[in-house]
Amino acid sequence: MKFINLLKKELSELINLQMILGLVVALGIFMVLGGIMDTTIDEAKEETTNVTIRLCDRDNTEYTKSLIESIKKDGNKVKIFETSGSDYAAILDENDIKDLIIIPEGFTAALEKSERPEIITVSRMKSAATLSNLNVGTSSGLSIIKDKIAADVASRNGMSAQDYSIIETPVQVRENTVVDDKSAEIAPGDIMSKIALQNSIMPLIVFVLIIMTSQMLMSAVANEKTDKTLETLLSAPVSRGAVIGAKMLAAAIIALINAGVYMFGFTFFVSGATDTVADAAKELVESSLSVDEAISKLGLTLGGLDYFLVGLQLFFTIMICLSVSLILGALVNDSKNTQNMIMPIMMLAMIPYMISVLADINGLPAVFRYIVYAIPFTHTFSAIPNLMFGNRTLFFAGLIYQMIVFAICMFFALRLFMSDKIFTISLNFGQKSKYKSRKRKAEKAAASKKEE
Amino acid sequence: MSDVLEVRGLTKQYSKVLAADKVSFTIGEGEIFALIGPNGAGKTTTIRMISTLLMPTAGDAIVAGHSVVKEPAKVRECITYLPDEAGAYKNMTGLRYLRFMAGLFVSDIDGINAAVERAKEMCGLGDRLEDKIGSYSRGMIRKLLLSRAVMTRPKLAILDEPTSGLDVLNAIEIRKMIKELAEKEKMSFLLSSHNMLEIEFVSDRVGIITGGHLMVTGSADELKERYGANNLEEVFERVVKEHEVH
Repeated sequence: MKFINLLKKELSELINLQMILGLVVALGIFMVLGGIMDTTIDEAKEETTNVTIRLCDRDNTEYTKSLIESIKKDGNKVKIFETSGSDYAAILDENDIKDLIIIPEGFTAALEKSERPEIITVSRMKSAATLSNLNVGTSSGLSIIKDKIAADVASRNGMSAQDYSIIETPVQVRENTVVDDKSAEIAPGDIMSKIALQNSIMPLIVFVLIIMTSQMLMSAVANEKTDKTLETLLSAPVSRGAVIGAKMLAAAIIALINAGVYMFGFTFFVSGATDTVADAAKELVESSLSVDEAISKLGLTLGGLDYFLVGLQLFFTIMICLSVSLILGALVNDSKNTQNMIMPIMMLAMIPYMISVLADINGLPAVFRYIVYAIPFTHTFSAIPNLMFGNRTLFFAGLIYQMIVFAICMFFALRLFMSDKIFTISLNFGQKSKYKSRKRKAEKAAASKKEE
Repeated sequence: MSDVLEVRGLTKQYSKVLAADKVSFTIGEGEIFALIGPNGAGKTTTIRMISTLLMPTAGDAIVAGHSVVKEPAKVRECITYLPDEAGAYKNMTGLRYLRFMAGLFVSDIDGINAAVERAKEMCGLGDRLEDKIGSYSRGMIRKLLLSRAVMTRPKLAILDEPTSGLDVLNAIEIRKMIKELAEKEKMSFLLSSHNMLEIEFVSDRVGIITGGHLMVTGSADELKERYGANNLEEVFERVVKEHEVH
């Protein structure tokens, strides 16, 4: 009953309008981003499947005319533009297009002289974003023109169509990917593009969870201390263990709600992208396995036990955050210092988070690897990759290490809270200690009185 | 008059500082005892030890038959403590705060409701109890906290600077309330204050503490007579100076 009362109080302190607004805004941002991503990829997909080759024939010879006709006959959409000059920006603007292939004057003449003729391409770059600069028309148009000319030259030199086909594609590549002891006929790049996006969710959620949990508990303890409500609370007939337990549980509940919302939002954002890309990939390579089938065949999916283990590791990560935050919160003697106190936890979360996003932690040089392994949060960031790629020993070693770290941190947190130190300990960050300055004043006053 | 509090040689030694040195005194049932002394004299340390917040280095304090060293949980059931400059949870309404605190002392709903009703009457905040504490003035918070400290009828209420932050009229009201609770409900009080006028008016007995030592105890009249002083302020000055000379 008393514990429920304490828990309700802690939850009501943490759930406020600011927190709810923050969650709604975060969810909204993810949904809007997801929608934008979906539309952008749809447009890119549309452009990939319905390619329009925009051409300008400035050579205007029989050869170039027949070349264009031949491209059209093969079922390609071709749009012809009449342009002049070299102000390409003005040409794109006037015709309201974003790319153009120009066959310049002298193209046929050069070809007849067995010289390499020039072709000019113009593409507008809108931004640094990859998808915004996708100009499929130019690249596929160029490729078709090159093939036509190569086939033409080969034919003129007496080469059969079959021989030319072998020269054009000398080998049939059948790409296979092996994970642990399983293999599937798929390019590693296709697998990576899907799981990299999926695996980027977990580190983000873990990072948000670590920072949010720590911040909440630290502020809860620091505010109780600076407002002197802690003294009132601990002098009431309720055990210190219940006070700490209620604070930790409330912070964990709120952090999990936040993590759930972030996970939902981010999954919404990512699913649009992965589904569309995966569909496009499947359409393009109909004969081979779909990406999802290949991922399943390679054992890169997580089972029920794996999800339980990931959840268990996440639980210990939160518990470590909570126990460390209890200690750091108790050291605060001014609510302004709470922001400074979060720095150690933020750094410990940031290092493995950045590494996990940019590189494989297990692939780092030995010295760096062990330093990063010593950070307890590292094992949470590498939990899913470890389970996916069969590094179970490493996963369980990380889990046991986290349990030990939690036990040590909790031992010190409880010792601090059960002792007098909870009221006397503080870090001042360069400020003068109230106690010391008071003592100094009293000593000065005593000395001056004695002199009198 | 049976003793509600018996302090026996209570000592607190921090690494280099002796904050309280063998402090001993008693408080009877329905008695108001005031602990006065200069800043850093050891008042708050003594009060915190009796409130079970700090563990004594030596000695003990028996509250309603329970030792603060051996049975701190039992002691906490008999006391309430109002720290100096204490705050309250700013996001809670006054009423929610009273209910929350009552829930820590009383387990049944009827008991909680009765305690809250009592606090509502005593604090005199009326409809403002429905507002968040963050919007309260310092005086309003103090009245809320004082009513919280006595709403559960503790055997011993420990009030550190009970009227700090209150205007004259409110302070008078609070002093009257403390005296009434002691007389009519036999509630005992351990007060600490810098306001000598307040101490003289409200307390039955006074203890002057300086440098961690409890120098003298007695009623205001006894102390004035012993030191040949006109008021408690003069007694205080003489006791503190006496200690500095020694």
